[in-house]
Amino acid sequence: MDAVEITNVTKTFGDLTAVDDLSLRVPQGSVYGFIGPNGSGKTTTMRMIVNIFYPDRGSIRVFGEQLRGTRSKHIGYLPEERGLYRKMEVRALLEFYGGLRGGGNVNGEVTAWLKKFDLLRCADQKLDTLSKGMSQKIQFIAAVVPAPKLLILDEPFSGLDPVSADLLRDSILELRRRGATVILSTHDMHVAESMCDGIFMIFRGKKVLDGTLDSIQSQYGSDTIRVSVEGGAAALDGLPGVEKIRDLGQVQELRMTPGCDPQQVLRAVVARTRVSSFSVARPSLHDIFVRIAGPAAEEVPVA
Amino acid sequence: MHRIFWVARRDYLAVVKTKAFIIGLIVFPIVFGGAGMASVFLRGKGGEQNRRIVILDRSGAAAAAVAEAARQRNQEVLVDKDTGLQTNPRYEFQIVPADDTNPEQQRLALCDQLRRGELHGFLEIAPDALHPKSNPPPSIAYYAASGADLAQQWLSQAVNTGLRRARLAELGVPDDRARDVVETAPLESMALVARDPQVGTISKPHKRGPAEAVIPIALVMILFVIVMVSVAPVLSTVAEDKLQRVHEMLLAIATPVDLIGGKVLASVGVSLTSSVFYIIGGLLALEALAAFGFAPLNLLPWFFVYLVAEVTMLCAMGVALGATCSSAQEAQQLAMPLLAPVLVPIFLFGPILQQPSGPMATAVSLFPLFTPIAMLLRQSLPGGVPAWQPWVGLAGILIVVPLLTWAAARIFRIAILFQGQRPNAAQLLRWAIRG
Repeated sequence: MDAVEITNVTKTFGDLTAVDDLSLRVPQGSVYGFIGPNGSGKTTTMRMIVNIFYPDRGSIRVFGEQLRGTRSKHIGYLPEERGLYRKMEVRALLEFYGGLRGGGNVNGEVTAWLKKFDLLRCADQKLDTLSKGMSQKIQFIAAVVPAPKLLILDEPFSGLDPVSADLLRDSILELRRRGATVILSTHDMHVAESMCDGIFMIFRGKKVLDGTLDSIQSQYGSDTIRVSVEGGAAALDGLPGVEKIRDLGQVQELRMTPGCDPQQVLRAVVARTRVSSFSVARPSLHDIFVRIAGPAAEEVPVA
Repeated sequence: MHRIFWVARRDYLAVVKTKAFIIGLIVFPIVFGGAGMASVFLRGKGGEQNRRIVILDRSGAAAAAVAEAARQRNQEVLVDKDTGLQTNPRYEFQIVPADDTNPEQQRLALCDQLRRGELHGFLEIAPDALHPKSNPPPSIAYYAASGADLAQQWLSQAVNTGLRRARLAELGVPDDRARDVVETAPLESMALVARDPQVGTISKPHKRGPAEAVIPIALVMILFVIVMVSVAPVLSTVAEDKLQRVHEMLLAIATPVDLIGGKVLASVGVSLTSSVFYIIGGLLALEALAAFGFAPLNLLPWFFVYLVAEVTMLCAMGVALGATCSSAQEAQQLAMPLLAPVLVPIFLFGPILQQPSGPMATAVSLFPLFTPIAMLLRQSLPGGVPAWQPWVGLAGILIVVPLLTWAAARIFRIAILFQGQRPNAAQLLRWAIRG
């Protein structure tokens, strides 16, 4: 049984189709990354999974159950738009959210999480006395107390410093190790590549990518060359067999035309300038994202 | 139900633990009770200053009679007959000969005295006031510093009594007979007599005291104030929570009905806390004033039923409307429409008091949104209402309250995450129907 099973779901707001005939399965125990440009339908999909929005058509099952009109105590949700009762004290607030979802005593769990995030000293402080980063961590704790079977995180890393982001990443992976299924949306392709067992990309309401990173990259083949040369991107301008150059500063990413031999490209580059490094690779998730959703995108390639 | 109680507990404590609530709870009776007690205290202490009124008689024949009539009236109302204390200011009259050569100048001079505070007012009796030749007859002009001078009302009666006496004197009617003609009998407001259900005797007629008239209406006013105080903040609180993005996470944990149910329950709890405090305090005050017998104990169960119903209805609507707001100003603008169900019956107080069993009063009190205030007011008046009417009103409330709460929950679920332009009435209706 999948943790989440979305079947032919469509959601419209007036004339706008936010999610269009979407089907998706999120296996239990996995970390699933939702990617897509702003306004593509990620948050709407997440809100439908947690039942804040109801689909116009299609069905959504969580652990085999259709939840329409009810709430599951097994789902933890961290929305992108952060907000908590700012006049409440931290511990009282976390016990309120935990008690509301689980109905039991969550005092021990709250203490453990506060300790893990080094926030125990703030337990009796009001939320409006804490920094934004601290508040974000408190909101994460509110989403995971009591321990959920399905955790849905909308942009969990946005606005966090690297230390806090690492702490959060460790916590998410720890929850996964304990058996939780995690769905997270992110604009950071590195996070999606490094953390997620499966990746789903939605663009203009339609599913355009779905699968493991390996399976997604395989669809595009090894059409990418990463090269570091003297003179940078300017030295590579107009190379035969190259349809696009992405300048990353110290490294340039070249996308070859279909059927092009990398050896020909290497010879052409060596003929122009001094080469420090040269490797043939599959396109990165970032590159795939830009190919689908970049300014040149006209039609949506449905996955 | 667990989630409703959990939300209610948080919201209730968030209100009652604030200093504003505790201070408001104490300040309200101090302000209203204190004002009443201060008024009684000051009246008992007397200290009313004498007020000088000039009579400028251009008819030449009415001034003395008018001054005499006013003096007599002065005596009648100056002192409270029960307490023997002066409860009204003493008016002193001074007859000034009319200057017919330059009446404008004389009028101006008197007005200047009035402006300097040397006079309280002056009466100018027209030349043909005794024998009016025009139709309508000339009015008696009264000049005072304030347009709301209370002396005006009783001076009208005193002056006309004086004029009638002057006319009777012209006709040769002796003064003692003239007094019989012009004397007016005071109108007393009496309490209804009733048959004692145990011994069968009919009670003696007695004057309706102020306590008897005011205390039942005070119960309606307490209901009105507590509803206002409990419901008005809901709009701004929900709007503020929306601005702080509190609800999305809550909506993933609890259904809109859970959240609205919790908020309504919290408001009902707050209103019951306030009302129990005020009613116990009021009963203790009546006991201390030896007026416990006037307490409308039979209406207290209805008071609490109406309170719960009104707060539930308005709070559910307040949560839904608050969810449509994107700023505190928008929430303030919606306060008046939200509170219309309590304000409309208050505006209709006068007509309901005049004809409590009339068709208008009956219809208003059976309209579910107005039932709590209007029906309680009618029930509190002598004679009450037919026994079936409160129950029919209650039936209407029991139908409307769940419907409104359900519709409010549907609006809330969509509106709370809706950003940008405020939805119009048609959109709200669509959300309520379609969800």
